[in-house]
Amino acid sequence: MDNLWKYLLGIVVIFITWTLISYIVGSSLILPDPLTVIRTIATELKRLEVIFALLTTLSKVAVVLAITVSIGVTIGFFVGLNDTIYDVLRPGILVIQAIPIITWLALVMFIWGIGWLGPVIVSILSLLPHTILSTAIGIRTTDKRLIEMAKVYRVKPSRVAKDIYMGSVLPQFLSAMQVIIGNVWKVVVVAEYMCGDKGIGVLIAWARQSVAVEKVYAYTAIIITIGLLVENVMNQFVMKILKNWELV
Amino acid sequence: MEVTNKNDKNSILCLWNLSKSFGKMKIVNDISFELKKGESFALLGPSGCGKTTLMRIIAGLIEEYDGKIENNAQKVGYVFQEPRLIPWKTVIDNLKFVEENEEKILNILKSLKLYEFANSMPSKLSGGMKQRVNLARALIVEPELLLLDEPFASLDVHLKISIILDIIEKRKDMSFSMIVVTHDVREALLLADRIYLLSDKPTSIVDEINVLNVPKDISNPEFLEMESQILSKIMRRWSV
Repeated sequence: MDNLWKYLLGIVVIFITWTLISYIVGSSLILPDPLTVIRTIATELKRLEVIFALLTTLSKVAVVLAITVSIGVTIGFFVGLNDTIYDVLRPGILVIQAIPIITWLALVMFIWGIGWLGPVIVSILSLLPHTILSTAIGIRTTDKRLIEMAKVYRVKPSRVAKDIYMGSVLPQFLSAMQVIIGNVWKVVVVAEYMCGDKGIGVLIAWARQSVAVEKVYAYTAIIITIGLLVENVMNQFVMKILKNWELV
Repeated sequence: MEVTNKNDKNSILCLWNLSKSFGKMKIVNDISFELKKGESFALLGPSGCGKTTLMRIIAGLIEEYDGKIENNAQKVGYVFQEPRLIPWKTVIDNLKFVEENEEKILNILKSLKLYEFANSMPSKLSGGMKQRVNLARALIVEPELLLLDEPFASLDVHLKISIILDIIEKRKDMSFSMIVVTHDVREALLLADRIYLLSDKPTSIVDEINVLNVPKDISNPEFLEMESQILSKIMRRWSV
């Protein structure tokens, strides 16, 4: 309860600061006040086109998460198992991780043009290296003494993977998931803005073209709210799992 | 030390001229012995002499070495120096990791006074309890060969004696062969039928002492006499 009050107080502080800055700037073309943005959100959320765009963005986020996690964890698992493979692949993965989103966007637009696929591919390419490395590090930091114990008792590899490696990878994986879920919205919206044909990012691009600044802020606020809600649910889910596994 | 009985069906484990080096450093030097069914050996050597390396070779955890090993035990139990329990699994699930049969697990937990801790996480157990689970895990597989690698090193005397008595009791019931690695003469005398005295690094067998007929009772004069004899050998051999 105490935390909830602090959280609400934090939101109030944001609104007061925003109102003050908006008043000082004095131009709704640069920074509209919070009430204008809230009114715009209420209006926009009644439009089917906006709801459809929101669902499109959400579906892309879901697809990106599913693909990133399934491919990233699988590759990370095998990369982490073998020192040589890890040492050989790690520089490449780090290079891919360091490539700016804008470069991927340019490449994807050349190959696939404007559409649904571009934002999804760009987002996966941006988030996959982190998932692979986190999983690989989790595998590499597995207590080797437990693996030796399993070897002495001739435990099946599938059981070792499930009961030892999974527990070891779990904290790394969950913290990677927190980072990915925190970033996936930003990446997808940016990608939609640059090379999408539908979605909130596209609506922001249109709003910018028509100088509807309050809409840019409204769409952004919608995405931030959903992102924070999902992140919050994820954090609670992570804590619950870690407690169940006695990892915190 | 020469092993002659190479094809004895009664033999559980045979080592011939076993040596092991890590880089240029020789750790184990030309060790040979034969362990027969139901026998119990103690490898008594100073700390850091290479006893654990020898045990790891026997357990198959080190695969590159010189010499030959013939391990006829289908099932091996290993009581590690540290408990090596899976931290996110309960006691019962740690045992299920090596043996599925729940009835067997519950029986072993009862016999080792662990039943009430079956659903406890390892982090909630004391050091002694963890070592008991370590022992339970080794016994649940019904081993033909039980390897004990200084499992009492971190325990106080009371717990040490209590677990040693459990092992002696279980050995009577299950009649497994056993190798215990230790630097403690009393542990060796309590658990073994024969003691191999090891030298410092590179470790090799420097003496063999038959203690089969020594009573396993630390207050018995015969036990104390043998302890004193071994200690004086150690004083000579380990350059104390």
